[in-house]
Amino acid sequence: MKNIFRNCIYQGKNLFRDFGFSFWSLIYPLIMAIFFYTALSEVLNSELENINVGVDSENPIVYILEEIDFLNIHEITQDEIVKKLDNEEIDGFIDRDLNIKVKESGINQTIIKEVVEQIKQMEKLNRPIENYDFEADYILDRNQKANSLVIIFYSLIAMVSTYGIFAGIETVSLIQANLSNIGERLNITPLRKSKFLLAGVIVALFLNLFANGILIIFIKYALKINLFNEIKYSAILLIMGNLFGVALGVFIGASNKKSSNVKTLIAIAITLALSFLSGMMNPEIKVMIDENAPILSRINPISIITNNLYRINLLESTKSVGEGILILSIYCIVLIFTSYIFLRRKNYDSI
Amino acid sequence: MIVKVNNLVKRYKELIALDHFNMEVEEGEILGLLGPNGCGKTTAINCILSLLNFDKGEIEVLGKKMTPDSYDIKKQIGLVPQEVSVFEKLTVKENIDYFCGLYIEDKNLREQYVEEAIEFVGLKKYEKFYPKKLSGGLKRRLNIACGIAHKPRLIFLDEPTVAVDAQSRNFILDGIKKLNKEGSTIIYTTHYLEEIEMLCKRIIIMDNGKSLVSGTKEELKAMITTSEKIIVGFLNIEDETINKMKNIPHVIDVEKDDEYYIIKFENGINNLANLLEFIKENNLTYTKLHSQLPSLNDVFLELTGKELRD
Repeated sequence: MKNIFRNCIYQGKNLFRDFGFSFWSLIYPLIMAIFFYTALSEVLNSELENINVGVDSENPIVYILEEIDFLNIHEITQDEIVKKLDNEEIDGFIDRDLNIKVKESGINQTIIKEVVEQIKQMEKLNRPIENYDFEADYILDRNQKANSLVIIFYSLIAMVSTYGIFAGIETVSLIQANLSNIGERLNITPLRKSKFLLAGVIVALFLNLFANGILIIFIKYALKINLFNEIKYSAILLIMGNLFGVALGVFIGASNKKSSNVKTLIAIAITLALSFLSGMMNPEIKVMIDENAPILSRINPISIITNNLYRINLLESTKSVGEGILILSIYCIVLIFTSYIFLRRKNYDSI
Repeated sequence: MIVKVNNLVKRYKELIALDHFNMEVEEGEILGLLGPNGCGKTTAINCILSLLNFDKGEIEVLGKKMTPDSYDIKKQIGLVPQEVSVFEKLTVKENIDYFCGLYIEDKNLREQYVEEAIEFVGLKKYEKFYPKKLSGGLKRRLNIACGIAHKPRLIFLDEPTVAVDAQSRNFILDGIKKLNKEGSTIIYTTHYLEEIEMLCKRIIIMDNGKSLVSGTKEELKAMITTSEKIIVGFLNIEDETINKMKNIPHVIDVEKDDEYYIIKFENGINNLANLLEFIKENNLTYTKLHSQLPSLNDVFLELTGKELRD
């Protein structure tokens, strides 16, 4: 235990003093946040308006929807749907089978989806829908400058939460004799590889969570955007995101003998690709994926974090958090187990 | 024997890096592993330390079979690798403390050892420096301090003076002698002859993954045919006289090297006196004359047919 603690201290110093860590984990996310804020500030500062929902006259839940104050219900014919969506007269259309048609992504569309999902769930449970209070601090009374673009900030936080990937790669490199000179030296000391790796994972997790904290505080107090209302689940998601990042880093580090630079490029490519698919560059990408390949959103770890942070903090919906945490846990277990197989060998064919 | 290597074979695909390599090290000695670059010195050390797997052979360290899990053996070993292997973002003192702490758990004892190691390598005024701020020679000293701070019983030094200035080299070599005097057994690999001559009690000469010969300096020198070389410069000398020179007792060959002649003698005494007598008898005038006893380079040349420094 003492050995692990000592390793944590020294590995922590080594990582924290590294310019790469300081820049990519601490400074770069702040730059990105400022960039997003500057680019989107006008939209972000607009107030949320009532949501216009189109329904056809035979929609079985129209009477429920009409009871929800923040929804403006418009009965329209099938022929009018596309036109009204195009003209932005309605934010979405709910057909009689409770399918939703939208033209663009956004918080209004997400709210419509959440409401319909909630109604479906209540019906399945055979509970009277009248008992459900859609307005109980559900969406509108949050004093939240909510907008579809807020998802970009969740996506940014999700991406940064996986930045432990770099520390994971570094930790493996330091302990493998065939990957670094220090690894060669460490392998002839009485230090057990598992202890060094464990200390590396703890340090990476701790420092990256610290970097996440800095970013969140910056967004909340400097940019004045309140993203977090549900602390417990948000914290669990961020910890899992960090753990996933570190585990992926350990896996990338352990699974091949490419140089550190190549591994870092692989890590950057993976995080950027996953962030792109989760909507960080453009929320419409996320909507397109949600519509055409929803499984991708369900398995993309950054999407899992982004979507759940968004749902639990803006929509107060925790229904998919469990699934998200489970999937991230499975990723972590698989990555760590596979890495263990690569790392368990104790001597090498060549150094 | 503190280290015993028997018939070690290590292959890298088609290349045989170690070809039935043998080595024995007595406790308390400095053993020099001498050979040209690529001859297998580092591979041998890495196999002994169980970093590399090998195809055949037996290795015993401190009387036990060495495996990657031999933590009890590892506690008594120190390695100074060929490349500087330290944490770039830890200071000199932190680096030494980190590596020392992997062996020494007692904090007070560790602090004492770290201070001693810093003094030992002369880095006191640099102890708060990061490695990147150190010169090549100072980095090498730090590399050594990290490997010896815990006062190991057996130390492997793998070419610790490569690319080091003369001042740092002498400092390092003096330090190694001191470590040995304090009781550490040292295995020292290099391709620098003068270091081996200066440091080692016993030498193994390696080439192509094989241990060609082993013994003390004197034993090795006695193994070769040429026991003495006399280098002479003559003002005027005929070819016929040169041929006659080969009849001097114990002369085995006469070679011309630029303006000088190298006269090689096999075992024997009074070689210089015999040559001077020949010069007098033939009324020769010489411009330069000196005798050279065999060096390790001669041993190496005769054994391998090539220059050691390559």
